[in-house]
Amino acid sequence: MATLLRSALRPLRPLGGRRGPAADVPLRGVRHGAGLLYPGHIPTSPLQKALLAAGSAGMSLYNPYRHDMVAVLGETTGHRVLKGLRDQMRKDPEGAEILQERPRISLSTLDLDKLRSLPEGSLGQEYLRFLDVNVVISVSWDRALRRNLHSAQRVSPDTRAPTRFVDDEELAYVIQRYREVHDVLHTLLGMPTNILGEIVVKWFEAVQTGLPMCILGALFGPIRLSAQSLQVLVSELIPWAVQNGRRAPCVLNLYYERRWEQPLLALREELGITEPPAVHVRGPA
Amino acid sequence: MATHRSCALWSYCGRRWSRVMRCCRLPGFRSSWPRGPLGARHLSQEKQATETHFGFETVSEKEKGGKVYHVFESVAKKYDVMNDMMSLGIHRIWKDLLLWKMHPFPGTQLLDVAGGTGDIAFRFLNYVRAQHKRKQKRQLRAQQNVSWEEIAKKYHNEEDPLGGSRVVVCDINKEMLKIGKQKARAQGHKAGLAWVLGDAEELPFDDDKFDVYSIAFGIRNVTHIDQALQEAHRVLKPGGRFLCLEFSQVNNPLISRLYDLYSFQVIPVLGEVIAGDWKSYQYLVESIRQFPSQEEFKEMIEDAGFEKVTYESLTSGIVAIHSGFKL
Repeated sequence: MATLLRSALRPLRPLGGRRGPAADVPLRGVRHGAGLLYPGHIPTSPLQKALLAAGSAGMSLYNPYRHDMVAVLGETTGHRVLKGLRDQMRKDPEGAEILQERPRISLSTLDLDKLRSLPEGSLGQEYLRFLDVNVVISVSWDRALRRNLHSAQRVSPDTRAPTRFVDDEELAYVIQRYREVHDVLHTLLGMPTNILGEIVVKWFEAVQTGLPMCILGALFGPIRLSAQSLQVLVSELIPWAVQNGRRAPCVLNLYYERRWEQPLLALREELGITEPPAVHVRGPA
Repeated sequence: MATHRSCALWSYCGRRWSRVMRCCRLPGFRSSWPRGPLGARHLSQEKQATETHFGFETVSEKEKGGKVYHVFESVAKKYDVMNDMMSLGIHRIWKDLLLWKMHPFPGTQLLDVAGGTGDIAFRFLNYVRAQHKRKQKRQLRAQQNVSWEEIAKKYHNEEDPLGGSRVVVCDINKEMLKIGKQKARAQGHKAGLAWVLGDAEELPFDDDKFDVYSIAFGIRNVTHIDQALQEAHRVLKPGGRFLCLEFSQVNNPLISRLYDLYSFQVIPVLGEVIAGDWKSYQYLVESIRQFPSQEEFKEMIEDAGFEKVTYESLTSGIVAIHSGFKL
């Protein structure tokens, strides 16, 4: 009886997952952790991913302070590249360790006192200094919806939103790791968090990871720059970033949590990163 | 047993079969539908009495109120923008049609429940103001041999541009009311407007107080719809009118499929991109599917004691305006 019904209903089923298995009843049971791949996972259909990618790309251009849109863009467009990154991490010994142990860089997991007590010039010290010095004025959308704040927000590892739209648990970790490593990259490359610095880091990341979001950010980020900044960018910063990106091994393979004591300069030498050019900030870039 | 399994199958075949599903109310099947007295309670003996739906989730009734509150708290700021985006501006026409159906005249006392951001209330005020002006003009034209003094006096003695009409906006959510008050200030509505924080299931008003009770896109979020309807019946004056504008079931199968596609694929994405909130808009489209059809809702309204209950489907049934009278 059940099979009869099933065969009767089959031709009436909606085509190709367009109705959104995301929205239909079976997946709803999934919402309660029963079949979710990881906490915070929102299953999406291919059409939804395409719309999200387009929408988030447009919105991040329109409002560059929407960091969550950049994150969504990365998640929806990066599946294939993330697989490549994950496979490459598996091949590297340190990378494989990271995939197994799944370390996270967040304020709760970082021992700030220990980092502060590290010698001058070490990676941990420099990273902490970077966090303290860089104040990012951003509209925190989550809170803004409730309190309408423009919050002058210190950069902290926790400003990275959790992954939601990646449909593979390991890849979700990889992209989360990439986001958390982003700040360490700033320290490594010696780039501030103004728009010029961000673009340089994006170029570096684009060459290193090949994520579509990085490539798009690297190509379209400079749109809002003044002619002067653009000139500096193109003549000095981008060539430097590309060169170093090509030369350095994949930065995702570094177990940063074990390298806090390592002097920053030694790490740069190990990766083949040359002295970063000075980024002059002349008012809003 | 076999029928039980087959009912589960029906449920897996998507929400379009929800009507079929609802007929399939066997014990052990998906738990509660907030029905009128005789409905689900009689049939689903195994379910717990305090469970209800939150979109497609099953939650306890106590939880639902809090969850709905949380949803509207987070969408409040972007509520109007998102409405325009999601309905491509058509929601304005729907609300205008509700007002035309209401056809208030100067002196009408309106209670707008779940009217947080004030769309219906402002339309009501504009309508009544326009009516009042027209009435005045008519009066002037009807009078013969009026002196300039008398005309000037008529226009100066503008004590009440609303002609005695009042609207009370009642909402359970503080954030929505806040937005409504801001809009009122921005649009210059001062007189004749009151903002009350209250629960549709337990209105803070006396019996027999209002001429018209309206609830636009609010009743599907109420945990106990039958209680809300009973409250509506209580606070209306005899002869008063109940009007409900709500999403309903689409009658055309082709449009239904397009509508489902749009709802489930596009709307949460819009919510994420514009408002940064996927889950609230997922809840929105799911709660629409959970709401009873036009006929069923009509029966619920009749159960609450209203008479001459009618409904009018708009845009192929995407929304429907239900109307009933307390006689």
